[in-house]
Amino acid sequence: MSHSHKLVIKSSMSRPPPPPPTTNKDQQHQNPSLQEINIKLIQSGEKERLKELLRERLLECGWIDEMKALCRAFTRKKGRNNVTVDDLVHVISPKGRASVPNSMKAELLQRIRAFLASTAD
Amino acid sequence: MSGPNEDNNTQLSSHIFGDLLDSIIVDVASECHRIAKLGLDRNLEEEEEEMRLSAQARARVADPSNSSETNTKYVVDIFGQTHPSVATEIFECMNCGRSIAAGRFAPHLEKCMGKVIPISSYHISICLYLSIMIDSYYDREFCAIP
Repeated sequence: MSHSHKLVIKSSMSRPPPPPPTTNKDQQHQNPSLQEINIKLIQSGEKERLKELLRERLLECGWIDEMKALCRAFTRKKGRNNVTVDDLVHVISPKGRASVPNSMKAELLQRIRAFLASTAD
Repeated sequence: MSGPNEDNNTQLSSHIFGDLLDSIIVDVASECHRIAKLGLDRNLEEEEEEMRLSAQARARVADPSNSSETNTKYVVDIFGQTHPSVATEIFECMNCGRSIAAGRFAPHLEKCMGKVIPISSYHISICLYLSIMIDSYYDREFCAIP
């Protein structure tokens, strides 16, 4: 099958299904695992809200336009029939991760930490 | 909150942020891929066409078997310069940002300016300046003394 039709699966999405949360009280005193946090994030809808917030901020500051321009430039060079999603992810990831404004990152981190605090009791 | 918990929280937060960002990166890449494959990027289509026509025009000029009626290869202008009959310098169109060969700039501008793109008077004056320069190319070609 053509590789270009495969979606890139990021590590967070390829983990096996998490075990159901236990009601064991001891669990509360341990550091919550990433899996557990992810479950809570998704179930509460906070993950979706966070993603939309981040996407909106990135759109406002022109980050998304910048990434699209990088994709178009790459597509122009490689030819639009030869481009794969994988290619484009690799093209924009380094610059994308590096060019998120610090204030935006701080805003999101603060909100995530607030969520973690609210679930830790 | 105890110390180790805070460090853990910081680490977790960063990781979660990274996940969110990666997920958005995949979304953007997928969308651009879809647009590319479906040929929805009209600018890209037209640019490919322009590049093709430019290459053709340049090939015609470079071909020694193509001689025009006035043998323009040996025509010299008042500054002692010779010019190819199809101007081959590449400009960036300030309207749409594409690379266009000067010899194809006039027809390109015709199409390009017809689109609804906000254009400042600075851009207009540059376009006019370039149009005049291109016209003078052709003037030199026909008016030069052999």
